Amino acid sequence: MLIYQYIGLLIGIIGIIISILRFRDGKMSLSMVLVWITIWVLLLIFSAYPAATTLLTNITGIGRGLDIILIFGLIGCFYLIFKIYGMIENIEEEITLLTREIALNKKENTEKPDKD
Amino acid sequence: MTHETEEFLEKYGKTILIVLPAFNEAKTIENVMEELLEKGMQLIVIDDGSYDETTSIVGKVHKKYPQQVHLYRHPINRGLGAAISTGLEASLSKNPRVIVTFDADGQHHIDDLVPVVKPVIEKKADVVIGTRNFQEMPFRKKFGNNVMNIITRIFYGMGVSDSQSGLRAISPDAANIMELHSRDYGVSSEIIGEIKRKDLTLIEVPIETIYTDYSLSKGTDTKIGLKILARLIKNIFK
Repeated sequence: MLIYQYIGLLIGIIGIIISILRFRDGKMSLSMVLVWITIWVLLLIFSAYPAATTLLTNITGIGRGLDIILIFGLIGCFYLIFKIYGMIENIEEEITLLTREIALNKKENTEKPDKD
Repeated sequence: MTHETEEFLEKYGKTILIVLPAFNEAKTIENVMEELLEKGMQLIVIDDGSYDETTSIVGKVHKKYPQQVHLYRHPINRGLGAAISTGLEASLSKNPRVIVTFDADGQHHIDDLVPVVKPVIEKKADVVIGTRNFQEMPFRKKFGNNVMNIITRIFYGMGVSDSQSGLRAISPDAANIMELHSRDYGVSSEIIGEIKRKDLTLIEVPIETIYTDYSLSKGTDTKIGLKILARLIKNIFK
């Protein structure tokens, strides 16, 4: 096995663990955890069996040299999207906390008639 | 309502606090609220950013029963999980004997409150889940709920017969230590996870479900699955 295969396997496994932990903590929705696990599993498959990618290279006609750039580029992109997705989820959670806090604080005033 | 239910609610009704999360439930919420309020129960209604008539209907019932209804409103819709979390937090300040989560879509039978609430009042359980009969469930509901049971088992390591049921009784102590983060329907599975994590005693009791066209259009089913899929595809192309 080549170095990039080990790196791919490592990133894939870490990705799956982080996804499951985030889902368990309620920080990731079910749909997204399934999408991410699928992506990481695909990465694992392509890392362990690079031959599987020749199917793709045959279709696209891209040779081996470009493959490496593509693979690393894609891994990098996935990582960034994953990070951004995590950030959005955190923001969503913060908005929820704010909304809940507003509801809990405002309750004390509901005895007075609401403006609307 | 059976005689047994009536007797039980007469005795304990005032100490039962019902958490009623509601998002656009204008069609059913008034009847659901009235039925519970007539039995002397305390209600915590969380209007989760509804944009139909729910807000005004709930306000109207609140005026009728000012001592029994506690109203909380999320300014924007944040999902079932957020509404339940707000409800549990709010209920702890009211010192109830038992907290019950109840669906506002009219699918629960008031007679089922007794078997669900009793084990918590008698301190035999920290959490009781009302388990719906999957045999009576329409196929698309059954499928969705079975899948969610499997997911709950995989991710939280706890197998229950109905992880997505909306009718549960929780002791105040259990509600106090539960840490819920999920915003949407995932909260039902997360509660199961918390039961396991915090080593709480769980009892499952069978309940009836009233299936109307309306209640069928709510909750976990293939439609929710398709929604998740649509959101998933939307997220990919975003």
